[in-house]
Amino acid sequence: MNESLLEILRCPLDKAELTLEDAEYDGDEIVSGTLVCTECGERYPIEDGIPNLLPPDMREGTPA
Amino acid sequence: MDDRPDGDPSRTARTAAVKATYERIATHFAATREYAWPEVKSFVADCPPGRVGLDLGCGNCRHAELLATRTDRVVGLDLSRGLLATGRTRARERGFDDQLDLLEGDAATLPLASDTIDLAVYVATLHHLPTRETRIASLAALERVLAPGGRALVSAWSTAHPTFDGHDEGFDTTVDWTLPGGDPVARFYHIYDPDEFDADLEQSGLSVRECTVSSGNCYAVVESR
Repeated sequence: MNESLLEILRCPLDKAELTLEDAEYDGDEIVSGTLVCTECGERYPIEDGIPNLLPPDMREGTPA
Repeated sequence: MDDRPDGDPSRTARTAAVKATYERIATHFAATREYAWPEVKSFVADCPPGRVGLDLGCGNCRHAELLATRTDRVVGLDLSRGLLATGRTRARERGFDDQLDLLEGDAATLPLASDTIDLAVYVATLHHLPTRETRIASLAALERVLAPGGRALVSAWSTAHPTFDGHDEGFDTTVDWTLPGGDPVARFYHIYDPDEFDADLEQSGLSVRECTVSSGNCYAVVESR
């Protein structure tokens, strides 16, 4: 994902802003890292350049 | 606003089931979705250019590709990571990858800031959301993210399609996807009655510019209020 996308990404739960932690870059592209909600503290992974902003209980590996 | 789905485990499980279905069929499904729909082409061609486009339920990004001709950047959002991978491949092959950001997310809890999207398509996706409540929530979320003056095209499969002759009200069903080798994979659909489509749009808060039925699908051109 391009770094500029951060401006418009929000937490799916409460729509609060996200901060980026542990980012690894390839040029302007963020290839991995963690997005953390500034309000509820929920953590969302960026893997292979794609942020996973599914609500936590919809994430893969979460028992339905 | 709080979209926490915790209170409805059934909705969460059913959305997860739709995701699992598309993860399973992603590659084959995307390969059969080569061309943009003419209705989407003409919608995009008529829209003023903008800064950010959104393809909600982007699949292989065939419509994100069109949006990239009108907006500086495009966000492709899908529930299925497997489909997003096919979108990335298409974007690289066709040279719009430098404008595209992919996002794994849920249309009912749209993880985007308010008033940021100038042009959106929400095509052939709404009908996969498991309950009326979540479908209206996703339309309301679209209303929230559209910038003032921004415009979106929404479509859903409808009872007007010849496949559903004999149905005069909206209904839930499953439609099989057949994988090479013959394995059928059931996909959830809510087939919309056109009046019900209008009613859900009305309830979502979106402002409707134009509503039509074409090729068995309901279409609406909408704006934020």
